[in-house]
Amino acid sequence: MDDDHVFKALADPTRRHLLDRLFERDGRTLTELESELSMTRFGVMKHLRVLEEAGLVVAHRSGREKLHFLNPVPIRLVHDRWIDKYNERRVSALAELKTELEETA
Amino acid sequence: MTTIEQTATTVQVYQVFIRATPEEVWDAITKPEFTVRYFHGARVENSPTYHRSFGPDGATWGDAATLEFDPPRKLVHGWRSLYSPELAEEAESRVTWEIEPMDGGVSKLTVVHDQLEGAPKTAQSVSGAGWMYVLSGLKTLLETGEPLAG
Repeated sequence: MDDDHVFKALADPTRRHLLDRLFERDGRTLTELESELSMTRFGVMKHLRVLEEAGLVVAHRSGREKLHFLNPVPIRLVHDRWIDKYNERRVSALAELKTELEETA
Repeated sequence: MTTIEQTATTVQVYQVFIRATPEEVWDAITKPEFTVRYFHGARVENSPTYHRSFGPDGATWGDAATLEFDPPRKLVHGWRSLYSPELAEEAESRVTWEIEPMDGGVSKLTVVHDQLEGAPKTAQSVSGAGWMYVLSGLKTLLETGEPLAG
């Protein structure tokens, strides 16, 4: 459910580019982000909204400005759920193979 | 693979959705018996007046004033990185926890770590993996009752 939003958000190169820009320097305004993309303000807003829905970007007010922050927590959760799990299995399979081979040797 | 140089900023914002009531999230943040299971093993005590954190060996990891204590919605406290002699010399920064109830028994937890102007090394140390690990661990603990392994 939550994962769907994250995967959908990450499936687009422009949105990944926006995340990389925020990773480089966090807490940016729409105008700043827009200036680095060859895209209309409306287009950037649309992409930011998808990223916000996935929780990958959090908008936070600072005075009169709305700043966009990269929130890495959903990526960590996807990592725990979809990467760690399979890594672990592969590692333990290799460990078992080693034990087996060494026992028969 | 591209490596991107990261600049840690003086304001950091993190957010996580947790399938738990605001009261449960509040308890998990403010009671040491919970924090020891996801906060790098630290026993964190949050009272209306102070915020203290102790490492597994009893060493003081954090000691600052509580600035706002509004259960189960908002907690604001000072942050000093006493767990490292190098970071301990830096100026105090500020951590704000905000809990918002959402539909379907879910709470939205937003953590803002700011006023990091006088603490660039702390900013670097807590950014990315630091808070991310704490918040994903908190979510796992509340949703499954199990702390993250490792």
